[in-house]
Amino acid sequence: MLLLPKFDYEEPKSLQEALRIFSELKGKAKVIAGGTDLIVNMKKGIVAPACVVSLRRIGPLSVVDTKKTVIEIGSHVTVSELASSGFLAAALPVLAKAAATLGSPLIRNRATIGGNIVTARPAADLPPALMVLGAKVELKSKGKKRTVPLDGFFTGPGSTVMDDDEVLTKIVTPGIPPFTGTDYVKLMHRATLEIAIVAVASRITLDGPAGPIKDARIVLNAVAPKAVHAVSAERFLLGERPSEELFTEAARRAMDDASPIDDIRGGAAYRREMVGILTKRALSKALDEVRGRETRGAR
Amino acid sequence: MKKLISLSVNGKEYELAAASNKTLTQALRDDLGLLGTKEGCGVGDCGACTVIMDGKPVNSCLILAVQAVGSEITTIEGIAGTGGLHPIQKAFVDLGAIQCGFCTPGMILSAKGLLDSKPEPTEREIREALSGNLCRCTGYQKIVEAVQEAAKTMKKEQRRDYHEGV
Amino acid sequence: MKAYNVINTRIPRVDATAKATGEARYTADLSLPNMLYGAILQSPLAHAKILNIDTTRALRLPGVRDVVTAKEAPPVKYGVSPARYDETIFCIGRARYVGDEIAAVAAEDLETAMEALSLIEVEYEPLPAYLDIESAMRDGAIAIHGDYPGNISAEVHQVFGNFDEAIRECDIVRTDRFVNKRQDGGFLEPQACIAHFDLNGNLTLRTSTQSVHYVQRSLSMVLGIPIGKVRVIKPYVGGGFGPKAAVNSIELASSLMSMRTGRPVKMVFSREQVFLHSRARHQFFHELTTGVKKDGTIVALKNTCYLDGGAYSSFGIATIYYAGSLLGAPYKIAHMQYDGYRIYTNKPACGAQRGHGGVAARAAWEQQLDIIAEELNMDPVEFRLKNIMKTGDVTCNDFNMSSLGMKECLEAVRDGSGWAEKKGKLPRGKGIGVACGFFVSGAGYPIYRSETFHSTATIRLSEDGGTVNLYTAAAEIGQGSDTILSQIAAEALGVRFEDVVVHSGDTDFGVDLGAYSSRQTLMSGHAVKAAAEDVKRQVLGALSERLRVFAADMDIRDGLIVFAGETPDFSTLRAGYIKEHRGFDLKLPEGELSFREAARAAFLLRGVIIGNGAYKPGELGGKYKGAAVGTSPAYGCSAQIVEVSVDMETGKLTVDSMTDAHDCGFAINRTNVEGQMQGSLSMGLGEALFEEVRFDKMGRVANPTLGEYRIPTMLDIPNVKTIIIESDEPNGPFGAKEVGEGAIMPTIPAILNAIHDATGVRINELPVTSERLYNAIKDKTDRERD
Repeated sequence: MLLLPKFDYEEPKSLQEALRIFSELKGKAKVIAGGTDLIVNMKKGIVAPACVVSLRRIGPLSVVDTKKTVIEIGSHVTVSELASSGFLAAALPVLAKAAATLGSPLIRNRATIGGNIVTARPAADLPPALMVLGAKVELKSKGKKRTVPLDGFFTGPGSTVMDDDEVLTKIVTPGIPPFTGTDYVKLMHRATLEIAIVAVASRITLDGPAGPIKDARIVLNAVAPKAVHAVSAERFLLGERPSEELFTEAARRAMDDASPIDDIRGGAAYRREMVGILTKRALSKALDEVRGRETRGAR
Repeated sequence: MKKLISLSVNGKEYELAAASNKTLTQALRDDLGLLGTKEGCGVGDCGACTVIMDGKPVNSCLILAVQAVGSEITTIEGIAGTGGLHPIQKAFVDLGAIQCGFCTPGMILSAKGLLDSKPEPTEREIREALSGNLCRCTGYQKIVEAVQEAAKTMKKEQRRDYHEGV
Repeated sequence: MKAYNVINTRIPRVDATAKATGEARYTADLSLPNMLYGAILQSPLAHAKILNIDTTRALRLPGVRDVVTAKEAPPVKYGVSPARYDETIFCIGRARYVGDEIAAVAAEDLETAMEALSLIEVEYEPLPAYLDIESAMRDGAIAIHGDYPGNISAEVHQVFGNFDEAIRECDIVRTDRFVNKRQDGGFLEPQACIAHFDLNGNLTLRTSTQSVHYVQRSLSMVLGIPIGKVRVIKPYVGGGFGPKAAVNSIELASSLMSMRTGRPVKMVFSREQVFLHSRARHQFFHELTTGVKKDGTIVALKNTCYLDGGAYSSFGIATIYYAGSLLGAPYKIAHMQYDGYRIYTNKPACGAQRGHGGVAARAAWEQQLDIIAEELNMDPVEFRLKNIMKTGDVTCNDFNMSSLGMKECLEAVRDGSGWAEKKGKLPRGKGIGVACGFFVSGAGYPIYRSETFHSTATIRLSEDGGTVNLYTAAAEIGQGSDTILSQIAAEALGVRFEDVVVHSGDTDFGVDLGAYSSRQTLMSGHAVKAAAEDVKRQVLGALSERLRVFAADMDIRDGLIVFAGETPDFSTLRAGYIKEHRGFDLKLPEGELSFREAARAAFLLRGVIIGNGAYKPGELGGKYKGAAVGTSPAYGCSAQIVEVSVDMETGKLTVDSMTDAHDCGFAINRTNVEGQMQGSLSMGLGEALFEEVRFDKMGRVANPTLGEYRIPTMLDIPNVKTIIIESDEPNGPFGAKEVGEGAIMPTIPAILNAIHDATGVRINELPVTSERLYNAIKDKTDRERD
């Protein structure tokens, strides 16, 4: 039996109570949501917080809410809810798709969107999807509230801009504008239970049904200390008409935007090559989705 | 410090003293004597510790016992009816889906989670739903066949129950 | 083939219900009153002198009942083969790998035991660590074991025929190198044990093991307890695959601490400790040279192999022989040379794992044969068919193929997979490949020199009711031996399957070498059959007296007595039976004498009926050194055809279909045989594509988890078309021989050959990750361009 270290456990009944705990304990307290990361790290002896705080009694954290121009996803919405929601499959398909590749069905039933963000793993599946969506996270602490775009939220492996008295309460993302397609492509060893060797999230918005590219977002996963935009590739695509040759060239540039390392899942050179292959595929699939959405009349 | 908590397992209320760092796997095995839930790795990689919590199959090794208070938990001990084996259990037995048996409780519960929400899954859906449960002995094929067989049986029983006004 | 009542069926396993309901008790599920929890302190360094161990603080921790180190443990050396006893319970002065056992603690609960470990202070002096065979063999390298300079743990040289001469006559000669990676057993249940040394000086150890017999002998030898006072019991076991076939450190440590404290001690490996213990598949570096005539006749084979053995020998002394002897067959070849070297390195010890030593060799050779077939412009199936042995042939290393359905297996997969329509006709990126293999049906000799029977079996007929209590020390580890041994007993005696109750996996029940080398169906099966026939003779003998009918004119079938001639008048016998069961609802068959009545009559005449069976192979094998390893009473064989798809841009491989034909002699339980085939293919697929144990620069296992040591999931393996071939083995009970280990042999090379068909590349290093395949495709494309 793999044992957990000792810790205090709190189950505040309100967000206010939770924030008070964090303002008192600061770095000594950690939120436990799905536990699929925290419990593993505690068992492996990597972290040993003095206090573990569960926010499961705070209902609003588990709600998906559609506002006028944005969709709000509570930080405790589970990954399996993201993957199986018909609403999200239509409204935020790249998020649903990325969620479906995370871990296993058992893990997804517990893992949360908030957890996958705050753990800040360089290969986490949800941040790239959320970044191409232009999502922001709401961070609350006692007496304070701020909203931070995910672009810029991560500062390195395992670290974010969060203060140690802050709690991530919800993710706010605009919906997908018209003539937009997205995709998430993940290269893995086995077909499931895998952390990405390389993954790419893509988003293309056309200027009208057959127009040139108005907006391009490409986020690379597992090839840098955090998920990164393939900036040179994105810039290259702007204003151009989509084509296979264009995507090939953009993919080539994306390769230079990556800074992969050799690690237990793969070598740096291979990963760089795969950035090229996956980017091209992600762009093509995104374009297919533009056409598909328009055919279906999706909004 | 241990706290007295109450867990609802297999339709029964249990009271136990639990420190905050006790996992659900430990509570089920050490306190409740429900030894059918196994620990194969302790970190969510293998699925041997699978239980159903509020209708969803989960790795019990990644859940604190205190987090499970208020939830409905089903372990392998809780799925057979008074009349005999659950159709999934019977199919596993009849079709040779069990070899060493260590993955079996978790596998059956993942299958139950699937069939309770999706009574007529495709083979692909079965493999995806059970993909978090590792097996080293069987090569999975007879497990898939058993789930398919169980789906057929459960459908028949449902129809029979319906017609008998149950 | 003859029709049987109980065997050759699909009877559900006897233990399936207990496993399906969660009632089955594995070792970690067990508890004894007043039990202590043990934990092991392991070396953090790959190679170091141990200067001092201070256990004072650990001993003082409240709740700690015992702390032991080499000082408190008998210094007796043990291992697997007496020729290589190179382990002690705890390190004496030197730690040889990250994970080597330094000390152990027993405490009132596991938390206390773990805390006590952290209070043991050990002073190490690091030594140079040799993490690969080159550095271990280099001049000036420290001997990891004093008796083995140059760190050569074992060396084997075998010559059959005359390779140097024969190769000169060959039209095609090819040399290829091949390397796999160290593997792990990957069984779902980590090792666990509970030791109980009682006040009468008896040691009872419950443990997750493949061989209660070998563990019993090791405990007795190391701890100095007379062997008659050591009992080893195997509860339900969650898979073994080789690494659990010999004694381990927690079995010894818990027994030692139980002796010292007088209380039961329970110890369970974490998943990480399973990886640190290893005793799993070696890494093999093969160089094969094969010579062939232009008409496709295989003439000569030279095989040089270096095995990375880790820090201790374990089963390695056998592995080094199997890495050579498991080639040759199933093809006719007169000239075979093998040079093997097993090297000590400062890593966890490697031992036996499914296919024992033959898996990497087979992968290398079957791929090389494919290359040669291509050079000859011969279809790979035809090339193999041309060279295969048949029943009755003897290999150049004296393996007698008393039955060999190799042709039937090859033709079955060829016809069952659509080979002719697909080979050479699939689009780029899709491929089909074939391979063959064979394996022993039990090692011909025990791991220690002895005339011992390999398996004994005892049947005790219940005094009333006709229940057949079968006692065997054979180990049910998931492969289904409890079920097939019950079937064999039922068939041989003539009773129904449900009349047999099997009691197994306990040294009190007899001698059985255990579940390794794929032996139990044949060897334990023979013992059980003999015991059942003994009981049958006794019952019919007594019945003959009672009914005044010749025993030769009676038989037992399906739980009933069958008379060759007219049914005699058994009314008196029946009346007596009914009279002594007044009040019972007997449900006796009308007009037919039931077995339970006959068994009761036998008891009344003779007392309790006990039948005994015992098996050891006859004189086997050649007279050359190492002939003992590989020689076997029978050999299973198989052929596989695999289809793959390769994503040419990423190197990602998908196995689309697998067709497998295995000659198991005679299938005692058809469902079980299929299950072993499918499971073997799954393990082979994992070793081909995903599995490798990796180390960091400090010699620590870098991926000691099932997340990063990747065994196939349900989404990684397709359905397998299984074809059972039955060649009727004369040396096997009812014609049966092995399936448990042989089935894995063709898997890796069939995949490699399919990869070549799909992409044109040959891979000589496992696992074939997408990165490795991508690089190979890229290199080929670059070379073709230049």
